[in-house]
Amino acid sequence: MLREATNSIVENDDMNDTLVSSPVERGSISRAEVMGEICHHLAPFQIGEKPIAGSTVITKDLAIDSLAVMDMVMEIEDRFDVSIPMNVVAEIYTVDELADTVLKLRARR
Amino acid sequence: MNTFPTRNIRLAYRRGAFKSVPEMLDYAAQGETGVSFYNAKGEIRSGLSWHDVRARAHVVARKLIGAGFAKGDRILITADTWPGFFDIFFGAQYAGLLPVPVSVPVGIGGKEAYLDQLRRQLTASGAVAAVGIDDLAGFLAEAAAEFPAVRLHGGMEVIDSLPEKQVDLRPLGPDDDCYIQFSSGSTRHPHGVRIVQRALMANLDAMTGPGGLNLSADDRTVSWLPLYHDMGLVGFLLAPLSSQCSIDYLTPRDFARRPMQWLNLISRNRATVAYSPSFGYDLATRRGANQVPADLDLSCWRHAGIGGDMVRADVLQRFAETFASKGFDPRIFIPSYGMAEVCLAITFGPDHGGVRTDTIDRTALANEQRARPASDPNDLLRARRFVLCGRVVPGHRLEVRDPSGKIVSDREVGRIFVSGPSIMPGYFNDPEASAEVLSADGWLDTGDLGYTLGDDIVVTGRAKDLIIVNGRNIWPQDIEWTIEARRIVKTDDCAAFSVDDGGGERVVVAVLARVAPDQKADLARDVAGAVREAIAVDCEVVLVPPTMGLPTTSSGKLSRARVRANYLAGRYAEDAAPSNPATA
Repeated sequence: MLREATNSIVENDDMNDTLVSSPVERGSISRAEVMGEICHHLAPFQIGEKPIAGSTVITKDLAIDSLAVMDMVMEIEDRFDVSIPMNVVAEIYTVDELADTVLKLRARR
Repeated sequence: MNTFPTRNIRLAYRRGAFKSVPEMLDYAAQGETGVSFYNAKGEIRSGLSWHDVRARAHVVARKLIGAGFAKGDRILITADTWPGFFDIFFGAQYAGLLPVPVSVPVGIGGKEAYLDQLRRQLTASGAVAAVGIDDLAGFLAEAAAEFPAVRLHGGMEVIDSLPEKQVDLRPLGPDDDCYIQFSSGSTRHPHGVRIVQRALMANLDAMTGPGGLNLSADDRTVSWLPLYHDMGLVGFLLAPLSSQCSIDYLTPRDFARRPMQWLNLISRNRATVAYSPSFGYDLATRRGANQVPADLDLSCWRHAGIGGDMVRADVLQRFAETFASKGFDPRIFIPSYGMAEVCLAITFGPDHGGVRTDTIDRTALANEQRARPASDPNDLLRARRFVLCGRVVPGHRLEVRDPSGKIVSDREVGRIFVSGPSIMPGYFNDPEASAEVLSADGWLDTGDLGYTLGDDIVVTGRAKDLIIVNGRNIWPQDIEWTIEARRIVKTDDCAAFSVDDGGGERVVVAVLARVAPDQKADLARDVAGAVREAIAVDCEVVLVPPTMGLPTTSSGKLSRARVRANYLAGRYAEDAAPSNPATA
């Protein structure tokens, strides 16, 4: 099951969707919206029954590999039309921190 | 902003035969060619003609000399693909300083591992300055805090704010070193390869000449390769510069995000030379296949090089099939072999030779160190296909030797040795590590295993335990130390190695499971998490019963080779705990 989910992500890479679907252009976005998007991308990597929450440590609590993490961050960046500087990315550990970063960068636009 | 022309009008084409980097930049600066930096959308963010590169480098050099930096001082530079790298790298060349290019952090949660790496690189290079992209100024400051010798660090503004004094330039000459290349060796004990001007010029001439890519005035290059890697820095900055080529750059990050832009740039700018490790071709195929622009035309591409990793025939074949209708000719594939200790290039496949392979018997390879042709090449359980990497570049020699040092005959697997004018004089400030790989008579032990087939070399793997994942060298010690440092297991209770089941290398970590049965899953998860966080690689964790222990050598050292053999023989299967999606 897990394998199928992962494979489908790796094979399709969702890159087409990224290119076709337009990013959230203007207006404010809610935290729930950002959290929802992140959790949607991370869902395939959930381990067991433990739900993905704000405190989930992305590279530790999930069965996600480094390439998929990179893809996920890119998807989030494209979706919300932000670019997270590499030093900021390097200090993100949890889902909450990722969501807060996106909101902060959105507010600055 | 426009692209730079492919050919110079004012300046006669000159392929190499320079004596130093300053001399080759002085020459290229008289023409109109240059480098452009593209973003993920394929738009030009900025551009520098070689003339601009030189003018800016002179300013930086006068600032550095004016600030009191001495000849031979090392300056660490984060080698992101941006104009600042050119300013520092070439500024140092004219100031008589040695640049030390280092990587930029990748992935989330990677800060601590990156700072550790910076500290080790500062130690190994003895750098007195550390400069990078503005975003990394904070990390550079943190890493440099423990190094009183580092008297200048930060983003480009720390260079900009230095006064430009009227001092004479101190260009590095033919007998000087050029820069320090980190690329081989454990990240815990990084070895900085001394790249010297004379050796670099020899390798550039070999690379661009008839025994290599045979560049001409009509060649143009496109690259996404990182500039902290030898293939990016030597292959796609210094080699094009030595031939006054224009270069169009994508950052590695933008390539990962939009691999199709790499091919788009080749097509749009009518580029003729572009390289990638196999995984880049794979990425372009998997991600690009559904977004191929209708007007993509790759018929201009003359050399599609492969290097920096084991060359994978299956990946290249898929790429060629995917882009055949866009003018891609599979004969332009040029498998290559090289390493930083030789500046870059050791062998090139023949011009228009494409991917030539040799399919051999797996058992004979593993047990007899013989590359015996497979009886049934299609039986992939018993046969393994390797790519021929061509012949050694002119002026150099290559030998395959057995453990006693005797040169072996064709199809006998041994250690690959190289000699010639491109060989490094040694690792920076590390005579012990240098003596391990360099002989008194000038031969370099590459640490790779392979066999000859006529003039061709076939590289089969590494003699050392080095793990290569997606072009990245990972030392098993680094993985083991990470796990032990976090006190997840005791010292000597884990062993990291890689297995290649034909689909690329994957990392396996065997761990002695000194925990209750219901804690086993947690242990496996913690190990995988620690490795992912610190090394940025995913691994399969195999739990070994403590009663079984991990095999050691006669001198009591952990034997990774035997752990690996046990794993492959299925001896750990009962307690194997899947910890990553690939094995679930």
